[in-house]
Amino acid sequence: MISQKEISNKEVIEEVYSHIEENKHLNAFITLNKEPSLKKSEELDNNPSDLPLAGIPIAQKDLFCTKDLRTTCGSRILNNFIPPYSATVIENLENAGCISIGKTNMDEFAMGSSNETSFFGNVENPWGENLVPGGSSGGSAAAVSAGIVPAASATDTGGSIRQPASLCGITGLKPTYGRISRWGMIAFASSLDQAGPMARTAEDCALLLNQMCSHDEKDTTSLNDDIPNFEENLNQPLKNKKIGIVKDLDLSSLDNEVVKVYQDSLKEFEALGANLIDISLPNLSLSVPTYYVVAPAECSSNLSRFDGVKFGRRSEDPKDLEELYIKSRSEGFGDEVKRRILIGSYVLSAGYYDAYYKKAQQVRRLIKNDFDKAFSNIDVIMTPTTRGPAFEMGSKGSDPIQMYLEDLFTISANLAGLPAISIPNGNVDNKPTGIQIIGNFLDESSILNFAHMFQTSTNWHMYTPEGVKE
Amino acid sequence: MDKKTVTTISYLSRLSIDNEKEKKIVQDLDNIIEFVDQLNDADTSNVEPLTNPLEKTAKTRTDQVTAKNLKKELLEIAPSSNDDYFLVPRVVE
Repeated sequence: MISQKEISNKEVIEEVYSHIEENKHLNAFITLNKEPSLKKSEELDNNPSDLPLAGIPIAQKDLFCTKDLRTTCGSRILNNFIPPYSATVIENLENAGCISIGKTNMDEFAMGSSNETSFFGNVENPWGENLVPGGSSGGSAAAVSAGIVPAASATDTGGSIRQPASLCGITGLKPTYGRISRWGMIAFASSLDQAGPMARTAEDCALLLNQMCSHDEKDTTSLNDDIPNFEENLNQPLKNKKIGIVKDLDLSSLDNEVVKVYQDSLKEFEALGANLIDISLPNLSLSVPTYYVVAPAECSSNLSRFDGVKFGRRSEDPKDLEELYIKSRSEGFGDEVKRRILIGSYVLSAGYYDAYYKKAQQVRRLIKNDFDKAFSNIDVIMTPTTRGPAFEMGSKGSDPIQMYLEDLFTISANLAGLPAISIPNGNVDNKPTGIQIIGNFLDESSILNFAHMFQTSTNWHMYTPEGVKE
Repeated sequence: MDKKTVTTISYLSRLSIDNEKEKKIVQDLDNIIEFVDQLNDADTSNVEPLTNPLEKTAKTRTDQVTAKNLKKELLEIAPSSNDDYFLVPRVVE
């Protein structure tokens, strides 16, 4: 429409901001970038560009540093932080022509599965009042789901892209660990964190991924492997391709309707020509406990940088340096973040290190070995993305483990560093559900291919909450 | 996990715990540790720990200055600073 001059770039951006205003109740954004975005769109109208994503409005998760634009990570301790530089992935998207229209709400430091831990308040799922959007990338998922933006950036440490994508009825992709530079991403658990795109379709995710990936010397874990054109493989026929179905997966704790929707999707893939193969991932059930040792350990170390000295919020009138550290951190972090720092300090402390941290890293290898073995004979693995559709705010009670189990199906891909996508695959009680497709190391192309072929033969990705304008 | 352990790890973490929340935090941490104790079910004898999915040694790059000096910008966003330093309460009398 833009290239046909039916609508100007500036009109598109103005429309985005009026959608944000109409959807204020969702609380999807923490900070808007209105004036610079309008200016950029005017420049594009005056000097049309042939950049691949020229003029595409994108919502950026508030975990990425954005130059001269407040970056809070959903935390009180960063509520005044204006970075002097942008994350590599933000630069990549903006260099491809994207317009960063604002920063999206999220669980504090990406620690949560319901967007209920943000200092800036809960995000509401566009599919229903009082429903959580999932987390931690809840604001990004809600913004795409509500039709405010066609694309959003997000991050995934244990499911933070795929679980909210599933709960909001959109597509979300976590690439292979190392595909996208982590430079300028505020670190939570460095061996698990990975950025990725959220959009309505797998095809749009492929377009975004093409621009987000790059080798970056500033991130020592950034991969220097060839980056394929992720659009190229989308339309490959699925005939005789092999889908691994995890026979050790206990689906009994799932909502019956969710299991039915999942099985219907598998039948759809069979109709597309793919074969289902039973595989075994015997250590899968240990992925959540492994994660809840590894992630808090890395978080306690990463979050030690927030001390009230160099940037962020400082407590008022500390009597000495020690009190400055303790009060700034205690006032600045919320309960879930504190809980994870404490667990991390415990499992890393002398006397417990071998029993917990080393043990978890050993189990992490067993989980990775299980995947390596399974992938010798299959193309992708499928599971439901979550145990059920979006739940009510506050409904998980005060026991943190109930919330941790929300990521039961997604965590293992982070532990093994594998790419995985969630796509909408049905509807339960007028709430969307998702199916997860996990790929082999560096094989984003296959999961995008399976996802795209599913989306050419089904319409679940086009279902939107009531009142959403397309 | 008991009150004394929580006091020690909160000091190590430079966090103070509100009195009214202390009981709940001790209970939560105790439940989480009990939950992760399932890891003992796995036989990990002779299994090397996996610290990072890439398992490649961190790459090094040529020792060249590539970033520009952001001293002024960085000191400006600090809670308290002068022209050259971050400022904190006096440490040495």
